[in-house]
Amino acid sequence: MKQPRDLWRSVILGAFLIFMIVPVVATLIFSVSTRWDRSLWPEGYTLKWWIDVTSRPLFMLTLRNSFIASFATMLCLLVLVTPTAYWMKLKVERAKPIVELITSFSFGVPGVVLALALIRFYSNIPLPIVNHPAILVAACMVLSLPFMYRPILNALEAMDFRVLTEAAQSLGANGWSILTEVIIPNIMSGIISGCLLVFSTVFAEYTLTNLLVGTRFKTFPIYLVEWTRQDGRMASALAVISFVVAWITSLLIIWVTSKTGREAPHIAGR
Amino acid sequence: MAASASAVRPARKPFGAWTAWLGLTPFFLFGLAFEFLPLLMVVQSSLTSKGSPTLEFYRQAMDPLFLRSFGNSIKLSATTATLGVVFGTLVAYAIITTRNGFVQNALTALSDVTTNFGGAPLAFAFIVILGSTGVITLILKQVGINLYPNFRIYSISGLTIAYLYFQLPLMILLIIPSLHGLKREWREAALNLGASTFRYWLEIALPILFPALMSGFLLLFANSFGAYATAWTLTGSDVDLITIRIAALIRGEVQLAPELADALSMMSLLIMAACVGGYLWLSNLSRRARQ
Repeated sequence: MKQPRDLWRSVILGAFLIFMIVPVVATLIFSVSTRWDRSLWPEGYTLKWWIDVTSRPLFMLTLRNSFIASFATMLCLLVLVTPTAYWMKLKVERAKPIVELITSFSFGVPGVVLALALIRFYSNIPLPIVNHPAILVAACMVLSLPFMYRPILNALEAMDFRVLTEAAQSLGANGWSILTEVIIPNIMSGIISGCLLVFSTVFAEYTLTNLLVGTRFKTFPIYLVEWTRQDGRMASALAVISFVVAWITSLLIIWVTSKTGREAPHIAGR
Repeated sequence: MAASASAVRPARKPFGAWTAWLGLTPFFLFGLAFEFLPLLMVVQSSLTSKGSPTLEFYRQAMDPLFLRSFGNSIKLSATTATLGVVFGTLVAYAIITTRNGFVQNALTALSDVTTNFGGAPLAFAFIVILGSTGVITLILKQVGINLYPNFRIYSISGLTIAYLYFQLPLMILLIIPSLHGLKREWREAALNLGASTFRYWLEIALPILFPALMSGFLLLFANSFGAYATAWTLTGSDVDLITIRIAALIRGEVQLAPELADALSMMSLLIMAACVGGYLWLSNLSRRARQ
């Protein structure tokens, strides 16, 4: 009885593993092959494409731009979300539905619609942020807001923030030092996993970048897509880099959250 | 001292409540400036022409050309959501019933990581394996199966396979908590009463799982409906999806018709928001059922 049932399970899990691993491994092998389009195995191996694509000035520039966009989004969200979540839990729990409507906006709105709305609105307003990286950061904040908010709220709910606040106040601390010296150290795990989630979302972001700033602020995914149209071997090296960045941040998130409990699955940016 | 101590208690006095709301002003301003005002402007502009209300742009959006794009998007989303729900649940069930703890943790972690994948790199990976000279294409040719020209990775069926790469892990992560909620005793009780494994699944397990499966379907549907980067990298403008059309209108590739883009955007927003709303409602339901 046991043998066929376990066989069934191994087949399912094996097929799943193959489906998830093969595209990534094949892309890696493709990036170090001289040619791999006529034979079952690569005709030879080389690092030529890696050296070629990474030595171009655009490579460093787009990588730098992606890091700038990711860190700017991360910092702005941190400053916006942490005090808001704390204040809401402490003083106005009734505001929660409205706060969550704002945080989960990007779940219900397609990326192209968000881009269109921002372009239409800000081209009518005398504020020079259309086509400027600032509007990209604002859009990325909307996109990744839930990924910062959720872990911070979970961490807040897991600690006794009310008692700690009262204790700090009775010792004479003011609101600002309570937040920075008492609350934030206690929700650090939530803040770190929020930051990592935001980073991986924005680093891989393509839709908003392409439509909002286009060629004026080229990010890494834009560079990758340009190469997919020109030379697949260069594109494969860039794709491998994206996979590695995504794997590292995801594994860090798993490592951080394994100490604090699971987060909701994370979806965005496709 | 007394004043500051009273400030930490939940504010009950109307004056206290009013000032407490003020603390959320920066956040609400952000929401207004980058979410609701821009969206309202799209709504308004899709409904007005030269200052008077009109449904003209929605009439234009109902053109067979655009209805076909909506149809393609809906078909692609329904297909990948259905396949994602069926195979995701199957894999999730295999994961949670395996006795090997390492396999269990490793595959859950794999789902965690890969559900974040998507967009350009993923699309390109599928070109590498399933493009006209891709490795799987070559292997299949070797054993006498010619994928091309009947199948193309740069088509809707190619997109279906690529989307499954992020839909499957998402479903696995969504359904695992509900599968854990199926109690072993229910199954034993059913089998003791003479039911077959098949009848147990059909009459007990699946009805219990139904809200979770349905909410998973809706989230996967929305996840695929709003997707753009993967499709655009893989197929350019070849595949006629509604997000590709809206993006083309934004870039002014086809014609400069902002109000038409507004109307199309509102229609896709309604479809997607309905799915997400349904998902939230149903997942609340199944979370309460588990507790």
